[in-house]
Amino acid sequence: MQSNAALEYDYSIVKLFMWTTVIFGIVGMAIGVLIASQLAFPDLNYLMGEYGTFSRLRPLHTNVVIYGFTLSGIWASMYYVGQRVLKVSLLESGFLRFMSKLHFLLYMIVAALMVVTLALGITASKEYAQMEWPLDILVVLTWVVSGIALFGMIGLRREKTLYISMWYYIAFFLAVAMLYLFNNMEVPTYFFSGGLGAWYHSVSMYAGTNDALVQWWWGHNAVAFVFTVPIIAMIYYFLPKESGQAVYSYKLSLLSFWGLMFVYLWAGGHHLIWSTVPDWMQTMGSVFSVVLILPSWGSAINMLLTMKGEWNQLTENPLIKFMILASTFYMLSTLEGPIQSVKSVNAIAHFTDWIIGHVHDGVLGWVAFMVFAAVMHMAPRVFKREIYSKSLLEAQFWIQTIGVVLYFSSMWIAGITQGMMWRAVDEYGNLVYSFIDTVSVLHPYYTIRAFGGLLYLIGVFMFAWNFFKTATAGRRLEQEPRYKSPMA
Amino acid sequence: MSDVAMEIEKYRIYMFLIGTGLAVVIFYYYIIYLYRSEKKGKKNYEKYGRLALDDELDSEILEKNPKSEEKKKGEDK
Amino acid sequence: MFHWLEKHPFFFAVGVFVVIAYAGLIEVLPNFMEKARPIKGLKPYTVLELAGKEVYKKDNCIACHSQLIRPFKAETDRYGQYSMSGEYAYDRPFLWGSKRTGPDLHRVGRYRTPDWHANHMWNPKSVVPDSIMPAYKHQFTNVADLETAYAEAVTVKKVFNTPYGDDIKPGKAAFEKYKKEKILPEALKIAKAMKRDDLVKMVESGKVPEVVALVAYLERLK
Repeated sequence: MQSNAALEYDYSIVKLFMWTTVIFGIVGMAIGVLIASQLAFPDLNYLMGEYGTFSRLRPLHTNVVIYGFTLSGIWASMYYVGQRVLKVSLLESGFLRFMSKLHFLLYMIVAALMVVTLALGITASKEYAQMEWPLDILVVLTWVVSGIALFGMIGLRREKTLYISMWYYIAFFLAVAMLYLFNNMEVPTYFFSGGLGAWYHSVSMYAGTNDALVQWWWGHNAVAFVFTVPIIAMIYYFLPKESGQAVYSYKLSLLSFWGLMFVYLWAGGHHLIWSTVPDWMQTMGSVFSVVLILPSWGSAINMLLTMKGEWNQLTENPLIKFMILASTFYMLSTLEGPIQSVKSVNAIAHFTDWIIGHVHDGVLGWVAFMVFAAVMHMAPRVFKREIYSKSLLEAQFWIQTIGVVLYFSSMWIAGITQGMMWRAVDEYGNLVYSFIDTVSVLHPYYTIRAFGGLLYLIGVFMFAWNFFKTATAGRRLEQEPRYKSPMA
Repeated sequence: MSDVAMEIEKYRIYMFLIGTGLAVVIFYYYIIYLYRSEKKGKKNYEKYGRLALDDELDSEILEKNPKSEEKKKGEDK
Repeated sequence: MFHWLEKHPFFFAVGVFVVIAYAGLIEVLPNFMEKARPIKGLKPYTVLELAGKEVYKKDNCIACHSQLIRPFKAETDRYGQYSMSGEYAYDRPFLWGSKRTGPDLHRVGRYRTPDWHANHMWNPKSVVPDSIMPAYKHQFTNVADLETAYAEAVTVKKVFNTPYGDDIKPGKAAFEKYKKEKILPEALKIAKAMKRDDLVKMVESGKVPEVVALVAYLERLK
């Protein structure tokens, strides 16, 4: 143990990913606010010529927030939590340190190329898998390197048992790898046509209904294994650590983990209800979506009960606020999702803004809140400085909470209104509304949504400022804080 | 539907029923096993929850990873 | 039992993989044995239509438009016959979309005309006053990438046996010949039906504007 006294955790890679979390967060959500405003005020489509239309910007928004902001946050936490719960420092292995840096470098290259190609309209057109084949290859490479780093740390660990968070990071790595490979099977056209046309162009290996099936098997599980599984990994570490309370039930966490793993993959079919995929598959998607409530709530309730007897921390510590609200929103959206998967509800909800609302109460309320809390918990430890401002953190919490509520409530109303209007018939059985009627009616909701999004974005700027000041001007800490993060 | 497809469909249904049935049985057995072994005092699962809290490099190690120990010895020599 | 897995990461990872792969094995893979068969009379996309599909992808129309008519009366009344699996047999990738900020387009070719599209893409408000769709004026000057579309036709013919004629074959020379004989005349017909002289002139000079290819594609959706 003597050799360990001088040894420290190596946070250099964590810092890099934390910075990109902040930067991608600002970029991705700023685009989000712009495109939300475009729906309310269409003239905003003409700010950047061909590159500024809603349609061209939407994939940029989704890809930057998913693969920029969220993945950065996840990987920052993976290197941070990974080292700590395994009790191994990256300083112990030059190879792993190199791999982690290579991981970051490749990731930056892919991210830059992704932004450029999507802006130019170079796309495979499958949602959340828009990148063309040359980028797909780079993605796979990045993924493999990240896996080497993850399993390398596990291989060196001092603690025999993997903590709960590590299970989820492993599942995140494996599932995304499997799904991504299958969904992005493409045939480059350049090589089969004797060198004609754009070299980066490809056609999907699957056609029509089959393609849809694979896409939503991916699309749904990109949500599952990027927006849920690694975020659960984070909350299982950061909430107990910040509050100083061990997780309420280790056994429950075991059960919800295996339950979630088994059930989640089946639910992809719920994106294709009333489509041309076989009926039994639609039913399966529906049924398993409902079953999915159990393991999801298992984790969420476990988190809430972790605070048992310590609820006073909720009023005292803004980071606890973020995390508790995150798990509450997780419960909300994992209840809402299954409701939307019920066939008769889906008939109204599908294709409407209710789906957008559902996604955003999940990502704004659960994913992003958890990422903010994690970054702010890590900041004092990696920079060895106190959090710059507690009151700014409090203000951010409230302004963003109001933003999320405005966002999802307006989208719920918009979606249900439009869904009902599409199907409304008069006494003779004729459609009552023309399509454009159902668009015009949404204007107020689109305006409210854009405003809610703007509030949220303001919160992101507060967060970025707070983070920047913490890193550069926070009061220096003598000693690493044990539980509660110190804040001024 | 062709005969081959029918055949595949049949196996698919069997595989689904058997696989899912098995998973459910294992899962419930496992729940009972977990709680029973803790009640009898054979195991203590909840101690692993401390892993998130005692996560300094010099925190006490709950169960040592024998592999990492071997490596340490090798280095000492 | 399971607890043993947490101490043995390799077997843990294998366990996780088996559990998550199970659903895919049962749910998704078997469908590929039964190939999605085209419905009777379905023709593959012409090269011009493929180029139009590329424009549809490039300007990301699926952000707001679906191509999937669900089997409800309200939908069939509004958009026509509900969609069938075999109609998508040549769609690589599928373009069903997931959001209808604008109406479904799966049968838009039945009830809109090329000149309506021309006006609509130039300025949506000129035909639908309350429209919130942006104008796509750049499609009137950008030139469609016919060569890539042709490369796509060659590829799907070769790899997936999509039934194209013998004149679809690899090589630059074959493409130039095909472009002159097949693509440009087809484009000219569309451009004329769109009733805009600038488009006709461009096509006559051997360049097909993006919007002409796009309208060829939209006209095909029936």
